[in-house]
Amino acid sequence: MDESIVIIPEHENGTLSATTRDLVAAARHFQADSSRKIRAIVLGDDVESPARQLAGECGLTVTAVHVPHLTTYNGEVYRQVLETVLADCRPDFVLIPHSSRGQDFAPGLAVRLEAACITGVERIGKAEGRWVFSRSIYGGKFEADVSSSTAMTVLTISPGAFPGEDSSPAASGRVEFITLAGSPERTRSLGVRQRPSGGTDLSAARVIVAAGRGVGEPENLELIERFADLFPRSAVAGSRIVCDAGWLDYDCQVGVTGATVSPDLYVACGISGAVQHIGGMRGAGFVVAINTDPGAAIFNSADVGIVEDLTTFIPRLIEVYKDSREI
Amino acid sequence: MTMNILVCVKQVLDPEAAVAIDRDARWVASGPETAYRMNRYDEFAVEAAVQLQENDTRITVDVITVGPERSDAVLRRAMGMGADHGIHVTTDFEGPLDPRVTAAAVASVARDRSCGLILAGVMSEDAMQGLVGPMAAECLGWPCATSVMEMDVAGDRSAVAVEREMEGGRRDVLSIRLPAVITVQSGINTPRYPSLSNMLRANRQPLDILSADGLGLPTPLQAVTQVRRPEKSRAGLILGGSPEEKAQQLLGMFLERSFLG
Repeated sequence: MDESIVIIPEHENGTLSATTRDLVAAARHFQADSSRKIRAIVLGDDVESPARQLAGECGLTVTAVHVPHLTTYNGEVYRQVLETVLADCRPDFVLIPHSSRGQDFAPGLAVRLEAACITGVERIGKAEGRWVFSRSIYGGKFEADVSSSTAMTVLTISPGAFPGEDSSPAASGRVEFITLAGSPERTRSLGVRQRPSGGTDLSAARVIVAAGRGVGEPENLELIERFADLFPRSAVAGSRIVCDAGWLDYDCQVGVTGATVSPDLYVACGISGAVQHIGGMRGAGFVVAINTDPGAAIFNSADVGIVEDLTTFIPRLIEVYKDSREI
Repeated sequence: MTMNILVCVKQVLDPEAAVAIDRDARWVASGPETAYRMNRYDEFAVEAAVQLQENDTRITVDVITVGPERSDAVLRRAMGMGADHGIHVTTDFEGPLDPRVTAAAVASVARDRSCGLILAGVMSEDAMQGLVGPMAAECLGWPCATSVMEMDVAGDRSAVAVEREMEGGRRDVLSIRLPAVITVQSGINTPRYPSLSNMLRANRQPLDILSADGLGLPTPLQAVTQVRRPEKSRAGLILGGSPEEKAQQLLGMFLERSFLG
């Protein structure tokens, strides 16, 4: 195999995950100054359909690894099988989605392959002739460039960080089928469970007012609700912290492990702007952030920022609005 | 059956207090005024271990940290929360440690102490890598589950049933044979606040201090070459004036875009 870049797309029920576009777009960065080739590896009990999709729609060479009985994700089997395949083709870079499952198997896989592992990559560039990978640190307040000194490097690619263009490939790629046994000895997968829903559907809201740690106490959520009430078709949402504390139901959580929303207006109240949260609201039309910390990362992802304490600013805003309506 | 749980804790610069980049733009600056504290994700791991121990006296809880001298404060805090012993692997280095090196240190201590379970936070708030836990598992040849929201250790200590958090409110349900490494998500429990008397007692207890140099750790595989403030993905126009003026400007923008009824 002469492909020096390998991507490992996620798939479920025969369908590729939306993160595949990010992987392909990120992998293309390595082609900028050379004719490096990209290979995709998919594994599972039923890989025919995702493999054909990758070859047809992305024009990639695909290794479809049929692993009998691997009907759902199993970290132990993933690491076993991928070690075998990758030890054989020794690519320079292995790109995996920075998803829940990607983050679960990538670090151990890297250890097995004596590769460095750089997670949550948001940009790929070159400095002084070396590849550098940019990722968020300190909740997105800063960004670090990381480089590796190993022959192989495993990267997990941040969802949404590499917007891919829709371009049809010149030619369809080749699919190679192999079968590898993978038996989990110590990890038994018992299926996937959907968390019971409380009935909130953020996707229907035109305006979302979201609360973060800056709300301070659960009593202040009433302010957020009153703020949201100013807008027709609005909903109240929250960051992970607010949902963890039980102040809002997990249905209301915006972020990579919660809901991904794209309302016309998103108002972030007391939200620091960690990458996990930004990943869930990147698609919003207009973003307003209210936070006491002028250095908060949320201001980098907002159209308009207000450096104020939400507990005093929101009541004032409501007052000003009501006054203006009375005239 | 007795079982020794090892909990990994990390001292971080409070992300809300972190304001500057150091002189060489290599890491986030710390100064005499900066506040260090335990990584919040690790508080959930300590709490999970202490709850297991409270239900079964045959369980002991060790906490480990790898870092410079000042980081012993987080061991004391974990002991104030109820952990039995603190192990400090000391480094003479400020700035980020290579996760593979930290993982090897954790694995080495876990092996020496015949641990049955390693718990860690899903990631650290500063470096946000999520690597040390799953890498330590691989160093030991143990199974691992990350981002765990539910955890139930079998009475005979043979296995642990877990639910891993996935995207969109779904959970992966697994049963893992012990010994194993589990990284926990925030929200799995409510970490306790150590009482003053517990903190005073923890401060008097001796710590096991090991030098990282003596553990035969691997060479780093990656390095941070530069740290900067991120570029704005949107305009980020900061409104000026009094609160009232800001409110008026903002309402004007809402009206202009027909967001208000």
